[in-house]
Amino acid sequence: MSPLSSSLLNPRLSFSLKPLFLFSQSSFAPRKFQIPRQFVSAKRKTFSDLASEQSSATDNGGRSGRGGRSGALSPSPVVEEVQRIDVNPPKGTRDFPPEDMRLRTWLFNHFREVSRLFGFEEVDYPVLESEALFIRKAGEEIRDQLYCFEDRGNRRVALRPELTPSLARLVMQKGKSLSLPLKWFAIGQCWRYERMTRGRRREHYQWNMDILGLPEVTAEAELISSIVAFFKRIGMTESYVGFKVSSRKVLQEVLRCYSVPENLFGKVCIIIDKIEKIPIDEIKRELNATGLSEEAIEELLQVLSIKSLTKLEEILGGAGEAVADLKELFSLSEKFGYSEWIQFDASVVRGLAYYTGIVFEGFDRQGKLRAICGGGRYDRLLSTFGGDDVPACGFGFGDAVIVELLKEKGLLPELNLEVDNIVCALDYDLQGVAAEVATKLREKGQSVDLVLESKPLKWVFKRAARTNAQRLVLVGNTEWQKGMVGVKILSSGEQYEIKLDELE
Amino acid sequence: MSPLSSSLLNPRLSFSLKPLFLFSQSSFAPRKFQIPRQFVSAKRKTFSDLASEQSSATDNGGRSGRGGRSGALSPSPVVEEVQRIDVNPPKGTRDFPPEDMRLRTWLFNHFREVSRLFGFEEVDYPVLESEALFIRKAGEEIRDQLYCFEDRGNRRVALRPELTPSLARLVMQKGKSLSLPLKWFAIGQCWRYERMTRGRRREHYQWNMDILGLPEVTAEAELISSIVAFFKRIGMTESYVGFKVSSRKVLQEVLRCYSVPENLFGKVCIIIDKIEKIPIDEIKRELNATGLSEEAIEELLQVLSIKSLTKLEEILGGAGEAVADLKELFSLSEKFGYSEWIQFDASVVRGLAYYTGF
Repeated sequence: MSPLSSSLLNPRLSFSLKPLFLFSQSSFAPRKFQIPRQFVSAKRKTFSDLASEQSSATDNGGRSGRGGRSGALSPSPVVEEVQRIDVNPPKGTRDFPPEDMRLRTWLFNHFREVSRLFGFEEVDYPVLESEALFIRKAGEEIRDQLYCFEDRGNRRVALRPELTPSLARLVMQKGKSLSLPLKWFAIGQCWRYERMTRGRRREHYQWNMDILGLPEVTAEAELISSIVAFFKRIGMTESYVGFKVSSRKVLQEVLRCYSVPENLFGKVCIIIDKIEKIPIDEIKRELNATGLSEEAIEELLQVLSIKSLTKLEEILGGAGEAVADLKELFSLSEKFGYSEWIQFDASVVRGLAYYTGIVFEGFDRQGKLRAICGGGRYDRLLSTFGGDDVPACGFGFGDAVIVELLKEKGLLPELNLEVDNIVCALDYDLQGVAAEVATKLREKGQSVDLVLESKPLKWVFKRAARTNAQRLVLVGNTEWQKGMVGVKILSSGEQYEIKLDELE
Repeated sequence: MSPLSSSLLNPRLSFSLKPLFLFSQSSFAPRKFQIPRQFVSAKRKTFSDLASEQSSATDNGGRSGRGGRSGALSPSPVVEEVQRIDVNPPKGTRDFPPEDMRLRTWLFNHFREVSRLFGFEEVDYPVLESEALFIRKAGEEIRDQLYCFEDRGNRRVALRPELTPSLARLVMQKGKSLSLPLKWFAIGQCWRYERMTRGRRREHYQWNMDILGLPEVTAEAELISSIVAFFKRIGMTESYVGFKVSSRKVLQEVLRCYSVPENLFGKVCIIIDKIEKIPIDEIKRELNATGLSEEAIEELLQVLSIKSLTKLEEILGGAGEAVADLKELFSLSEKFGYSEWIQFDASVVRGLAYYTGF
C-alpha cells in the first residue's frame, strides 16, 4: 500500500463546515478587509487529528447529521465583518418576486394571445445595440436619455430605449427573403438613463406590434383594433380609455405653406409633442429657434387646437392626404366596430422623429395618467439607416401605465400560487415512495410540491394552505403496507385511500 | 373670417411627399454629410401654390391616392448618401427572427412547464446589477469575463454573468417575510465579455431552479429529478445524456489534512475546474502558487481521478460528510427512479467559488 493511501485510511470523522470562512476572501464588498495569507504547514494531518479538532469547532449552521435548519430565516452569528451588499436592485430597476412575476406573466400572456389572435409572429433582438442605431439628432427626449456607454472594447453601445430601430435593422438584414406584408410583435425590456431625483423608472417592458409592407390605412386600423381587443380582454372599456388620433401630414401641410424645409419637420414635431409638458411660451421660443416665423407658429398652434375632423377639413381642404387618411381611418373604425374608442385630436404628434403619417395614443379618460400606448406610421425609417424604404406602422405599449390604470379601476387580477398536489411522506423511510408518487403525478401533467424533509403534519397543512394546493397525498406506513396512499381533498375535506397505480 | 383661415381655405391639392429631406438632418450616420440650413421665406404659400409645385415634384415612392406598394421589397432611388448601418446584431449577440423565436419559445415553455410541475415559482431580476455583486476574487472565469462598465453616473455596474447572486440579494431583501423552503425558478439572459477572436457568444439564456432553506440532500435529488423530467420531455434519454456527481467536501477533506486554510478552498476549486481545459503542469503550477505543497497537490489529483464511490469511501473513510452525502444522493436516485442517469466522478468541481456541497 502506498504511503499516500495509508495515511488517508483512517477512522471516520464527521465535522461541520465553517461556511463563512469559505467566503471570507471572496466577500461581495471587495475593499473592506484583508485576510492575512496563511502558509500551509508541512506536516500533513490525519483524519483522526481532524476528529480531535472537531470538538472545538463552532457550528455556524453547518450540517451535522440529519437535522437541519428550517422555518423562517434567522440571523447567523457573524464570524468576520463582511460588508452587507445593497439588497435593492439598481436605481430605477425592479425585481420580480413571485407575486409581481405572476402579474407580469398575466399581462404578457394577454399581449401574446392578442398578437396570436391577430396572426402576428413573435421576434426578439439584443437588449444591447450599437449606439449608432439611436442617434437621430432631432432633439428627441429618447436620445437625451439614452443609456449608452463604452464597452470593454471601447465601442459605443446602448441599452435600447425602444424596439423599432432593431426591427428595422433585422428587416434590412433579411432583405428579399421576407415576404410582405410582415406582421411581427415583440415584448422586450427598454432602458433610459434619467436623473433619479424624479423617482422614475429606468427600465420598462414594451409590447410592440408592427406591420411592414402595407401603405394602406387599413394597417393602422388593424393595429388599433388589436389594442382595443387587448383592452377588452383585461376589462378596460371605452368609458375608461380611448385613442386620440391625428396625422403628421397635418403639420407637414401647414409647414409647407411656409416653405419650411422638410429636414426640420422632425424637430418641429418633437417640440410640438412637449405642448402639455412645458409652458406655451417655451414652445414658441423653441419653434422660433428652428427658424419658423411668428406667423407660421401662430397658424401651427391654431391648427393643433382643432378637435374636429370636419373643422380640419375646412381649414386644410379635403384633398390633402392628411384629411383623406384620417377620414378613411374613422370610416374603418366604424366598420371594425370601435368608432366609440377613437377621436380626432390635432395636438397628437407623439415624440419620435420618424413618424410620417397617422399617429395615435391611448389615454385614460379621467386624465390622471400618462399615455398608455402610442404608435403610428413610419414609412421612411429604413432609408435613414441606408436601406430601402418599406411602408411601416406600429405601436409600443408599456407595462407601467396600464398596471397603474388597472389598480385605479380595481381591475387587477388576483393571482395566487396554486399547486395541484402537495405530497408528503409520513415516515422517513417512505421518502422514496413519496418521490415515486410525485413523479407519477407529474407525468400526468399535475404540479406537485414534494415535501423534502421530515415535517409535522401541521406544518404540511400550513404549506398546503399557502400554496392553495388542491389535494394532499400522504404516504404512511399503514397504508403503504397495503400498497396504498392517503388522499385528502383540501377544499371539501374529503379523504380516502387509494392504490398508487390508481392515483390520477 | 380671419386672414389666417382665409389663406388656408384654398382649392384642394394633393401632392407627394419628399420624405428623404425629412430625415436629411437627422441621418443615422452623423458625420457623413451636411445639409446647408435653409431659411424660411417670409411669404406664406397657399395650397394652390403648392398644387402648381406638385407637377414638378418627383415621386420617391410616396403615396398618391389609394394605391400603394406591396409585394417584395424593391430599391428606391437614393437621393442623398446615407451611410448604411451595420445590420448585424452586436458581436456575440443574437437576433431572434420568427423561426428562431419559435424554437426559443418551445424550449422556454418546457423549462416553465417542468418548473411548474415541480411546484416552483417564477421570479426575475434586472439584467443590470451593481458590479459588487459579482466581485468574488476567487479567480473564476466568470469574473475575468464580467461585462462591466461605468454608467452615466460613474457607477460600476455589470450585465449579470449569472442569476444566483441576484437571487441571494432578493432573498436577503425579503428576509423574514419568506417562508421556507423556497422553490424559485428564473429564465434570464446572462452576459460575458470575451474577446471575439474565439467566435463565441457574449450572451445566452439560462434556466435556473433553486431551493432555499433545505439542508438535506433531498433538495439536490429533487433538482436533478427536475432536469431528468425535462430531458425526458424533449426526447433525451439516459443513453444520450447523464449526470456526473461529486462534492466539494471531498476536496475540503483532503485539503484539511494539509491544513490548507478554508479561505483558499474557492480558489483551489476554480483551478481544479480547469483540469480538462489546460495542461496538467499548468494546474500543478497554479495550485503551487496558492501555497499548496507538492505532496498535497499529488494527493488531491489522485483523489480527483476516482470514479467509484466505493473507492472514495476506502480512501476518505465512510464517516466524512462527503461520502455520506453522496451515498444518500445515490440512494435517493434509486428511489426517485433515475439511478441510471447519474454516476460518481470526483473530478467534477464546477467553476463557481461558492459551491459548498454538490
